[in-house]
Amino acid sequence: MAETLLWVLPLVPTFTALLMLTTRDRRILSAIDVGGSAVLFALTLVLAREVASSGPRALGVLRVDDLGLVFLLLVAVLTLAVSIYTVGWLRQAVAVGNMSAGSLQSYFALVHAFVATMVVTVLSDNLGVLWIAMEGTTITSAVLVGYHGHQHGLEAAWKYIIVTTIGISFGLFGTVLIYAAAAAHGGAGAGALSWSAIMKVAPLLDPGIVRIGFIFVMVGYGAKAGLAPMHLWLPDAHSQAPTPVSALLSGVLIKCALLGIVRFQTIAAAACGPAFPAEVWLVFGLTSVVVATPFILAQHDVKRLLGYHSVEHVGIVALGFGFGGPVGTYGALLHVVNHGVTKALAFFAAGTAIARYGTRDMRVIRGLLGVAPIGATLLMLAALSLAGVPPFSIFVSELLVLRGGIGHAHWVAIAIFLVMVVVIFAGLLHHAGAMAFGEPAAAASREPEAWSPLLAMMLLAAIMVLLGLTIPASVDGLLRRATEVVVG
Amino acid sequence: MSTHTLHAIVDDLGALLLFTMILILAAGQIYRAIYAVAAQSLLIAIAGAVLAKATGNVDLWVIAGITLVVKAIVLPWVLHWVVRRMNVRREVEPVIPVAATLALAVAVVVMSFHLSATLGPVHQAITGNALPVGIALTLLGVLAMATGKTALTQMVGLFASENGIFFTAMAVTQGMPLIIEIGVILDVILAALVMAIMVLRVRSTVDADIADLDRLRG
Repeated sequence: MAETLLWVLPLVPTFTALLMLTTRDRRILSAIDVGGSAVLFALTLVLAREVASSGPRALGVLRVDDLGLVFLLLVAVLTLAVSIYTVGWLRQAVAVGNMSAGSLQSYFALVHAFVATMVVTVLSDNLGVLWIAMEGTTITSAVLVGYHGHQHGLEAAWKYIIVTTIGISFGLFGTVLIYAAAAAHGGAGAGALSWSAIMKVAPLLDPGIVRIGFIFVMVGYGAKAGLAPMHLWLPDAHSQAPTPVSALLSGVLIKCALLGIVRFQTIAAAACGPAFPAEVWLVFGLTSVVVATPFILAQHDVKRLLGYHSVEHVGIVALGFGFGGPVGTYGALLHVVNHGVTKALAFFAAGTAIARYGTRDMRVIRGLLGVAPIGATLLMLAALSLAGVPPFSIFVSELLVLRGGIGHAHWVAIAIFLVMVVVIFAGLLHHAGAMAFGEPAAAASREPEAWSPLLAMMLLAAIMVLLGLTIPASVDGLLRRATEVVVG
Repeated sequence: MSTHTLHAIVDDLGALLLFTMILILAAGQIYRAIYAVAAQSLLIAIAGAVLAKATGNVDLWVIAGITLVVKAIVLPWVLHWVVRRMNVRREVEPVIPVAATLALAVAVVVMSFHLSATLGPVHQAITGNALPVGIALTLLGVLAMATGKTALTQMVGLFASENGIFFTAMAVTQGMPLIIEIGVILDVILAALVMAIMVLRVRSTVDADIADLDRLRG
């Protein structure tokens, strides 16, 4: 049963994408969109139950373990939320001419093809398939980033495809090196690229070649994950993409790349000892947190702000994996989930505000609370959570990452981390407060708030608040088992 | 074929590959860079065929054939088509002078040989000097992307970089598993098509090279 689900799961979004090509009606397209995402979500839950009760399952090049499951659940939840959000967002975007009604089918088909490649990424056991799927996410999402078709969108799309393709060329090179090291112990053939097979011989692998391989992979998939200094594509792509796509990029895609790095981290930790990959994580994590800060403070474009903020949070996840140990790793995995959910919520809320004011400039978006009280409240909630205010979920995971660092006495890293988090806290709340309060501009649309974006946002906000107040036993168990996969 | 002859042939091919890379880096016109990358792909295909003959690995024959068709013929043809459609014959404008690029390239090659020399025990499993050449090609491809100012030079650099990875994979492990190599080539073709469409789209709307656009900042 669970084995069948492994290959059915990537087929669901693929089939949904093909189904999109059969009609041009916006309502039917939206219905297929929500339906396909709901099926993906339901099947993911079934698979999660199977894995929770009877352990990891494998079928050919695909395999699901608790680590992959954390990311798969994130993909499924956010895809569903994005589909619900898109219903109302699209109606407005078509009405004002931001999206042309004639090309909607290709937009929806691409979104689901993008989701399909991400599902393969998190389910792949074979490191070669992981790479192929990762490049697949680049190709599908690059078209989506440039979807509006204007000059800025295409510029962002070009920068995105070039930077991440060079990046993951490095990832492929690293994969080849690790494969070479593993082939010396496990024979050639497709099996020698399987992560679970390599893990069995990992302690025997030559540390020298694994070390170089891991650095190539870190730089390569790190570019895709938005780790500084390879993050240059990220703010452009996040600001230029249609809002639902921005939410997918920031919420899920960069997390999938992190999963890729974690897979190699476990191999490197077994071959060269855990200290080496941890150091590499820490270097890139600290760089990301530091580099993102000034750009967050000086930003006027709300979607670029959220983009740079993703760089910071990917940095925090990297710090969590770098501090390591059960606490740091658990914190990093929880942060992956928390940031994914919260950042998607923030992009949704920002997207509705942008639609209302017709601009991304935060100096123009004022007094949102007066024209869209529910949306503004959700935007404030998301901003408070992103800034790390208790009792929201990000506060909990940041605290866990910090405790992981204290446990391993990384005092310098902790000091830098804390200073940056405090500075960003102030900067982010300043920006969000200015948007929510004050006198609304005369140009702002005063239409009533559409139900579907609100529903999607409330769904995400509920998860965000719940994970902040208490971590349910099932989620806790999943994260603990996933931590064991990483830490061993 | 004895191991000695095999090593000699792979080393010679490696030297020729580095030579084509220098041609790409020093190309004054985009056409020359495209021909050079086509020649480079042809050499990779030959290397695959030589290794296939020496090891009797059937997968390598397939990989060599696909490389020949896709990377030595189809992709250069796509690039050529884009250049014709863009109707530009202008010089490749380097960001830094060609002499400086070549000096950097020499440094990269020396560094690659040094790096793989530190990998003592693994070196045994690897055919001749293929590993340093592979690392050098991959990094020089990235250098070509970084110094080339136009979208097409960036694409040429990307393909050259991919060639380096393929050469490494062939020499180090007799190629990655066939199914993976096919998947990788498929991705490269799709990426090339998407890039070509973007280049032409920008050309037709704002009459500029997509790589020259620099409005997004801060």
